[in-house]
Amino acid sequence: MEQGASTISQAMISQAMIAAWILVALAFFALGILVYIAIRSRTRQVDLEKAVQAFRSLDIEAFRNLVDSGEEAFLRNNLSPKKFRAIKRQRAWAALIYAREAGRAAAALAKIGQAAQQSSDPEIAASGITVTENAFRLRLQTIGACLHLLTEVVLPDLRSPSLPRLVDQYERAAETLFRLGRFSSRVQGSVRPKSA
Amino acid sequence: MLSLNWHRALSLFLLIAPHALLGVLAVILYKRRLYREFPCFFVYVLYEIAKFFPLFALYSVQGVSGKEYAYAYCVTLLISIVLRFGVIDEISRNLFRESQFLRVAARRSLQCVTGLLLGAGALLAVYAPGGNSAKWYAGIFVVNRGAAMVQSGLLLALLLFSRFLGLSWRRSAFGIALGLAVLTSLDLAMFALRAAFTSEAAANFLDLLITGTYLVCVSIWIGYLLAPELEVASPTVVAHDEVETWNRELQQFLKQ
Repeated sequence: MEQGASTISQAMISQAMIAAWILVALAFFALGILVYIAIRSRTRQVDLEKAVQAFRSLDIEAFRNLVDSGEEAFLRNNLSPKKFRAIKRQRAWAALIYAREAGRAAAALAKIGQAAQQSSDPEIAASGITVTENAFRLRLQTIGACLHLLTEVVLPDLRSPSLPRLVDQYERAAETLFRLGRFSSRVQGSVRPKSA
Repeated sequence: MLSLNWHRALSLFLLIAPHALLGVLAVILYKRRLYREFPCFFVYVLYEIAKFFPLFALYSVQGVSGKEYAYAYCVTLLISIVLRFGVIDEISRNLFRESQFLRVAARRSLQCVTGLLLGAGALLAVYAPGGNSAKWYAGIFVVNRGAAMVQSGLLLALLLFSRFLGLSWRRSAFGIALGLAVLTSLDLAMFALRAAFTSEAAANFLDLLITGTYLVCVSIWIGYLLAPELEVASPTVVAHDEVETWNRELQQFLKQ
């Protein structure tokens, strides 16, 4: 009886030890991420060119084609199941890379928008708000799209709806970036952004 | 009379130094009028300074038993935990204040993260309640371990979420978040070990580490609050021709 109680007690202690060391590992992992974020935040800069290049590099029509449900139906009807699965995986993977890049461009765009919000010119500041809001929406939608596309890579037979909202959001963001560029070309040096 | 050996001297230094620096921090917050922007953090700093005096008196006075000190320490610790949650809420409000969309979307996401972390903390308290110590304050360490897990998880989520979205932090808010995140992460590690290792030697060593961590975090807060805001590259530094060129390209891109 006493031996049994002692075994249970020892098991509880070892359980507590395992939990303690797991928590220590988690805490140091979190600390590593914090140090990384702190270092990166010191070198981070709003880079308009980078955002523009990111937008330039994306072919919206190619993306639209990759996620088009009509195209998918055509391929499903005309290819063998095995071939269709292989092609679908490749298309979903390519679309996933597009969505990821659109997300990165959106994050850069959000930074530009926030910098523009500090402008003394009300037109630039207002445009900055629109850019930022659109960029945030686009960024969050790309997460959903990436998860959606990742599911298609893993389960190519799954029938899924198209992603028109993401494409529309991307176009809205691109349009507001264009507007911001037009405003900023008029006023030199009026924006004094401040961020960490 | 305090008998001074190296351990005692180090303990005294690590007890006094962070609180002296917290005094400096309170002055900085007041002089820069940051208490208007971060009232909860200001209250937290003042509270941490105020709680130090009675605790230090209990620590130094010969007639006070270890149990009495532990009781006072645990009560003040619980109030600190509550105030830290207030500071995290304040930081998140400050971060999302300029975006209507984020105020709803991000705060909803953070509420989900909080729920998950609270669940994990509760499970941890049930399945790994610490060592076999029957002392009542061992339970407080388990509570603090759970709270530190929720707080560090929340702050990490906040920092990662903002980085992911491209949200710009004000330097002061970033510094407060970073310092608190480091403090709670290390608290998680230290109090997890404190709950598992209950021997006096282990407790003394971990106490030194906890107070040492506190000194580092207060230094982070002071460093970030004193540092000037970073001037980032402005969109207007792009040459007119260049802007027109990419405007044309974007226009073409949109017409495709």
